[in-house]
Amino acid sequence: MSAPGPGLPAPRVAAADRPVSGGSSLFAQIRVLTGRSLRAMVTDPGIVLFGLIQPIVILFVLTQVFSKMGMPPHFPEGVSYLDYVLPAVLVDNAAQSAMQSGVGLVEDQKNGMVARLRSLPVHPGALLAARSLVGLVRSAVQVLVIMVLAMTVLGYSPHGGMAELALSAGLTLFISFSLSWAFIAAGAWLRRAEPLQNLALIVIFPLMFASSAYVPVEDLPSWLQVVANVNPLTYAIDATRALALDMPGLDHAFPAVAICVVITVVGVVAALRGFRRPL
Amino acid sequence: MSGLLTPPVTRPGPAPGSGSGDLMIEVENVTKSFGSVHALDSVSVTAPRGTVLGLLGHNGAGKTTLVNILTTALPLTSGRASVAGFDLADKPVEIRRRIGLTGQFASVDGQLSGRKNIVLIARLLGAGRRAAAARADELLELFGLTDVADRRASSYSGGLRRRLDLAVSLVGAPDVLFLDEPTTGLDPTSRLNLWEIVEGLVRQGTTVLLTTQYLEEADRLADTITVLSEGRVVAAGTAAELKATVGRRTVTLTLDTGEDLVRSRAALRAAGFAAVNGEDEARTLVVPTETTREITGVIRTLDRAGVEASELTFGEPSLDDVYLALADRSAVRAPA
Repeated sequence: MSAPGPGLPAPRVAAADRPVSGGSSLFAQIRVLTGRSLRAMVTDPGIVLFGLIQPIVILFVLTQVFSKMGMPPHFPEGVSYLDYVLPAVLVDNAAQSAMQSGVGLVEDQKNGMVARLRSLPVHPGALLAARSLVGLVRSAVQVLVIMVLAMTVLGYSPHGGMAELALSAGLTLFISFSLSWAFIAAGAWLRRAEPLQNLALIVIFPLMFASSAYVPVEDLPSWLQVVANVNPLTYAIDATRALALDMPGLDHAFPAVAICVVITVVGVVAALRGFRRPL
Repeated sequence: MSGLLTPPVTRPGPAPGSGSGDLMIEVENVTKSFGSVHALDSVSVTAPRGTVLGLLGHNGAGKTTLVNILTTALPLTSGRASVAGFDLADKPVEIRRRIGLTGQFASVDGQLSGRKNIVLIARLLGAGRRAAAARADELLELFGLTDVADRRASSYSGGLRRRLDLAVSLVGAPDVLFLDEPTTGLDPTSRLNLWEIVEGLVRQGTTVLLTTQYLEEADRLADTITVLSEGRVVAAGTAAELKATVGRRTVTLTLDTGEDLVRSRAALRAAGFAAVNGEDEARTLVVPTETTREITGVIRTLDRAGVEASELTFGEPSLDDVYLALADRSAVRAPA
């Protein structure tokens, strides 16, 4: 250990290249902070892989259990259960990944990163935006892995064309992005990871079943149909499914996008407010 | 090693603002309330450029609250303050450009290596890729972290982590450095090491606000010390002035009974000693003394009062002694 001895000049940089002289733009800050978390994701892919466990397990369980039960009366004709359920599994995964964005922010608050950034000329929104972008990348990787796995191993064969399939994936990612902001806002206010995980478990998990995710809405018990018809997830899943499978339901795309835009805007505002509060 | 570092430079005129000369920290009657609790009650402190201001106090005294306020993390309730010549209320961003903060808990990303942590902050401050890498090399070298530079920070020991934390705080070459209990939990070698680094920085003109629970640390580093207790300034001055209030050495007496304690305290006070109850209120007395003759005086007084102490120890004044002496004085002053 080379201990600095007495008489040692303190670290300085000349005024001309003093790093803080110009500061950096919000855009640059977001880029640097996003890069930081992406790098952590590459060196420690645990979260990405761990996040894949739930959707893949659900995919296997659902397709194995329900495919032998015979289709409910309103099930679309000529569509396999795997094809039907996959877009829903992707949306479910998008929601779980969004939760991770909130957890990531909570971790930054815990390990002192937030305290550090607050003492620097860094825009408060930079870290939040970085967290949401990292979530987007994580979601994209997961969507890709699940789709490839489903196509190669399980025989997923969506009827929509490549462009529609890409559009469906894009919509799924937009859903993930907007939910990320909801969870980032929750993380900024609650500052603990457990409530976020509970939120995902207690809210999203049942909402998936009370939607068009696994069974057509018309085949749900009538009281659940009421829930399913106002459940934003129904719109999200109908829209992504309609695109991927070339099925009716594309009329749900507009409400789905509109809901996501609202969630994003509210999430951004709430997150900034919550984040600005003193630690 | 010193050849690696750029010699100090005079900065192009910062701090025009308040017209308060070269005060880099200026706190005037700052109060911070959380509901009905006054975390800070009308606190005033100043620090001229290139000096160390020591804030001494126990947990809950308000040290961290003041640091949080001055680093723009927490709004103040009333009063005014300026850092590096910029008013806290008007120019928080200008202040953030000129300060560094090492908090009580290392604020580093455990998932990143030591080097990446430094590069990250340099990039956030606007340095280019190459400048950031050069800055990282320089700081890693200075803090003796070169060997562990590419290991994840989460694998660092407490001392290494603290040094990395300080290195990260210095990325922007701050004018004012806030060190919030920087050596709490460090082993003696790491502590000494950190002290030397801070001394080096101050010689270069950096202004430091240091909070600590250790009088020894404040004594070694601080030019002026402000003692906080329950959010109030209870004493301020140089280390020498402060210690003079408690005496250079303290004699701690342990007595067998409460009666003995009362009797010896009365006798000692009658003889002109500022005897106060020690930590074990019912059994110990703390007597500040200036000279060895005074120590003999203490023993002689006890003898004359017919009290035998079961234990008698000598000690350098500690923060506790300062506290006790100050508390005792204010208790005496209070009824008047």
